[in-house]
Amino acid sequence: MIDERQEELASLHALDLLEGSERDQFLAEMAGSPELRQRVSQLRAAATSLAHVAPEAVPPASLKARVLASAAARESGAATAEVIRFPSWAPWLIAACLAVAVVWAERQYGASRAAYAALSEQHRVAELALEQTRSQLDDAKRLITESSRQVAELSTRLKDEGDLAHFKIATLASMLGNSPAAVAVAVWDPARAQGVLAVSKLPALASEKDYQLWVIDKQYPSPVSAGVFVVDPVSGEAHIVFRADKPVGTIAKFAVSLERKGGSPSPEGPIVLVSE
Amino acid sequence: MASGLFVLMTSDEETDLPAKRASANAALIRRMAGGDRDALAELYDNLSRPLYATARHILNDAAEAQDVVHDVFLTLWENAASFDSGRGAAFSWAVTLTRNRSIDRLRTRSNRARLLGNSIPDDFGYGSDTADIGGGERAELGDRAVAVRSALAELPAEQQRALELAFFSGLTQKEIAERLSEPIGTIKARIRRGLIKLRDTLAGRL
Repeated sequence: MIDERQEELASLHALDLLEGSERDQFLAEMAGSPELRQRVSQLRAAATSLAHVAPEAVPPASLKARVLASAAARESGAATAEVIRFPSWAPWLIAACLAVAVVWAERQYGASRAAYAALSEQHRVAELALEQTRSQLDDAKRLITESSRQVAELSTRLKDEGDLAHFKIATLASMLGNSPAAVAVAVWDPARAQGVLAVSKLPALASEKDYQLWVIDKQYPSPVSAGVFVVDPVSGEAHIVFRADKPVGTIAKFAVSLERKGGSPSPEGPIVLVSE
Repeated sequence: MASGLFVLMTSDEETDLPAKRASANAALIRRMAGGDRDALAELYDNLSRPLYATARHILNDAAEAQDVVHDVFLTLWENAASFDSGRGAAFSWAVTLTRNRSIDRLRTRSNRARLLGNSIPDDFGYGSDTADIGGGERAELGDRAVAVRSALAELPAEQQRALELAFFSGLTQKEIAERLSEPIGTIKARIRRGLIKLRDTLAGRL
């Protein structure tokens, strides 16, 4: 008999609203009650039917082609994950085969000694090669460490000298699940109140969308627009000189979001790139 | 992953779909398990509209909704072999995948917004339109969509709102309570009553 408390937990679980210990306790309770599992299943079916409540929206025809093209590029999981079912006598057959193999191996033992000696020699050679590779790897690591140190030194020197010390330089990392390689570098010259943005590997956009650059200055409650841009549809690259819409002092972050054509007064779309 | 979902679904969910449609979708997935891309195309024709509508409603962004639907169909394609029609309906599987991935994106997006010191909007676009089934729109919807919308419309408005937020918003119980300015116990009770009534109503109509 399912009581009201269980029914409430079942309803919340059907909508994935249980968390933490409450969820763990309910899962344990459910594991011991077929009746409760059945109730959750019924309620989950009712919950998924809510998909029909969403306002009607028709996917573009191009989406089907995209799905089918991606599927063509990948094998069906089924094809690669065929279930192999062994008959009940298979273990006995395997055991018998092993027994025969052992007898055969014993008979081959003498003849195999020479082969074993050859394999041992190969093993020694392989170990030497491995040792050499490890040594090369260590050398490479040392080289990387030394290079990194030199870059750090050079950066420090550059900051200590010349105008670069006043520049804000930031790398923007991708927040896009489908384009993790997208990257950008922003350089801001406060003296001229303008900057340069170089973008690479961002996906091309539909005609009604633009990428929009934002600068975050703590003196303003919301990000300040620094203009919109599009990328080369083939390379995903863009190089722009930008200015902020408002006078900015110290820039804390740069970010790029996906917005409607022409841009928005404040970020509305998803953030696709953001600096550390 | 997919097989884990099926553990949560029993054949009772089949009663949530017209048997013929559920059976046809199950047959398509079995054909997909054999590498039949025509079956994938047919399943896409059967399911893409409700899945896309769900993703778009959750994300309020057409491009992201397309990405979600694309990924869901690829997941169905790659995991077709794990499908067992005796343990779950293809529709429920697909909707669960779509909803979970959309909510994951929604939560990632709100985290990014916080990075920028920008809060998520109060209104995700859920209005009374979801319960409004005018004559013209009704004609365009399938029988099942009409049945679900009618069943939802029979619930008290506060239960409708709680269920819509629970399904589409990605908010936690606590966040739903805050959004609706009600105690969390009240929200739990509304969800329980609403979902049970929805189940009972749909069982009588489908």
